[in-house]
Amino acid sequence: MGLSLKAVEKSYGAQRVLQPVDLEAADGEFLTILGPSGSGKTTILRLVGGFTRPTGGHIRFGGTDLTDVPSHKRPFNTVFQDYALFPHMSVADNVGYGLMVRGMAKAAIRDKVVRTLEVVGLGGLLDRYPSQLSGGQKQRVALARAIVCEPKLILLDEPLAALDAEMRRHMQFFLKDLQRRIATAFLFVTHDQEEAITMSDRIVVMDKGRIEQVGAPGDIYYAPKTPFVARFFGDNNLIEGNVRDGRVETAVANFALPAGSRAEPRPVLVAVRPEKISIGGADGGRTAIACKVEETTFTGALTQLKARPLAAPQTTLLVKMTSDPGRPLPERGAETTLSFAPDTVAIVEVGS
Amino acid sequence: MSLSSERLAATAAGFLAAAVLAVLYAPVVIGALFSVIEVTRNGINWGGFSLAWYGKLWQNQSILDAVRTTLIVSACSVSLAIVLSIALALYVEWEGAIGRRLIELVVYLPFLLPPIVTGLSLLIFFANLGISRGVATIVIGHSVFVLAVLYRLVLTRLQSLPATLFEASADLGATRWQTLRHVLWPQLRSAVATGAILAFTLSFDETLISVFLAGDATTLPLRLWAMMRVGFTPEINALVTLVLLFSIALAIIVSLRMKPEGEMEE
Repeated sequence: MGLSLKAVEKSYGAQRVLQPVDLEAADGEFLTILGPSGSGKTTILRLVGGFTRPTGGHIRFGGTDLTDVPSHKRPFNTVFQDYALFPHMSVADNVGYGLMVRGMAKAAIRDKVVRTLEVVGLGGLLDRYPSQLSGGQKQRVALARAIVCEPKLILLDEPLAALDAEMRRHMQFFLKDLQRRIATAFLFVTHDQEEAITMSDRIVVMDKGRIEQVGAPGDIYYAPKTPFVARFFGDNNLIEGNVRDGRVETAVANFALPAGSRAEPRPVLVAVRPEKISIGGADGGRTAIACKVEETTFTGALTQLKARPLAAPQTTLLVKMTSDPGRPLPERGAETTLSFAPDTVAIVEVGS
Repeated sequence: MSLSSERLAATAAGFLAAAVLAVLYAPVVIGALFSVIEVTRNGINWGGFSLAWYGKLWQNQSILDAVRTTLIVSACSVSLAIVLSIALALYVEWEGAIGRRLIELVVYLPFLLPPIVTGLSLLIFFANLGISRGVATIVIGHSVFVLAVLYRLVLTRLQSLPATLFEASADLGATRWQTLRHVLWPQLRSAVATGAILAFTLSFDETLISVFLAGDATTLPLRLWAMMRVGFTPEINALVTLVLLFSIALAIIVSLRMKPEGEMEE
């Protein structure tokens, strides 16, 4: 019995920033809302936090309707993108704020604040002020301030956006680990798909105020349901085609319809992950494509290859393979055969 | 331009500035000087340093009463303006506020209009309502006048605060009053203090509005104005010197509190 949104929508005047949305988050789940800016992801978070009111629908938690409950009475706490630490309060007072306004005794607050700061790895910084902290430290204070109140759900609004790349990777693991330790549900908003894949139990992909797809990171990666998800989530080769007579026909290649796909004739988008394509080998039921090599790029662990199919030179195929110094790569302009296994392909419905 | 002619120009500008300052401040310095040395019919006794005029001033009951009235008026009108400015600034910053521009116009207008217009309008207003004039009406007049200064400072400060600060407070379980007390007030405090000092100096020497609204009450500027007709006694030099020192002290406090960009120190 966790969080549940039913037909929740939000409009500002005539502009509808969030179409009616249904969403559930289980207890203890790490749920990520992923989308580009303007997709409505932050709107959902602000509605759940109670900072804005929906223009329609209901927000429930554990069976209780929270739609009209003000922010300060909801059992949630938020980590804001700008951290929103109180500049005139020490770290200890910031973290203890939620307990102080509830009327907890000073000594008990101090106790709990010290323990919580140790959980986030900031013991000993109690008497510092926010202006004396680094970005990563502010981030942890904001986290401590949220978890000290023992909320049922923690809302995180792009909390890693302001950190540098190294700190961000570090905090990804830290957040995931912390979430497991305190066994509290996280509703995490981000535009960074790598962040979403690394940390989430489930991901909600949004675009233009609509939910495009909800699923585990693997499902969304390998079985995108809409063209937007196929494009937004990682690199993908997208080829327009048609399903006909149990086969998929595209300008690049024709191949058997993957198991589990509907056989009904219709236009579709074929999505092939770059790492699922390899050089050579049409054996074992693989689909071969004769190509002209455009470019090869060594990027460290992976080598990228771009090639144009001879049958459809307007299309570019991207291939990613494990780098192997012992294996010569085809030269630029050379003709080579690429292949993929038809059952690794995602058939994306283009919709009506 | 060569280095020497540049230096010449700078020196000339320096002398000019010094001359202007000398002309501007000479009367003030002379007034202060005459408050501590003896002036007799035979001339100035340069050797006769004395604080006698300060003693005389201390015994001049009518002036002391005027000073006390002025301090009461300033303190009350500044306090009233503080409360009003915070309430108005909070309302104008609220997303659901209506009539923002009208409110700002109403707040700024008395400060921009000639005081004679503000004073006369208030006089007619009070007369029509049958309210007898006195300290209370001066307080209202001064509040209307100094409100603009406090409002501007409080609003600027409020606008510089991120909205997430108040959202975070509510998110952590604080009621509106708790947010006001623990988050908003500590952030506004320094702006209010600076505004209060500025408003106090404005109210302290405000004359024209007071003329219309004073009734039987007499503030210090009104008392000095009345004395002009019968001639000043040298104890006025002592009074002016004290007021001057007080004003300088306030001005120094304000300038120390304001950073170059006009922001306030924490």
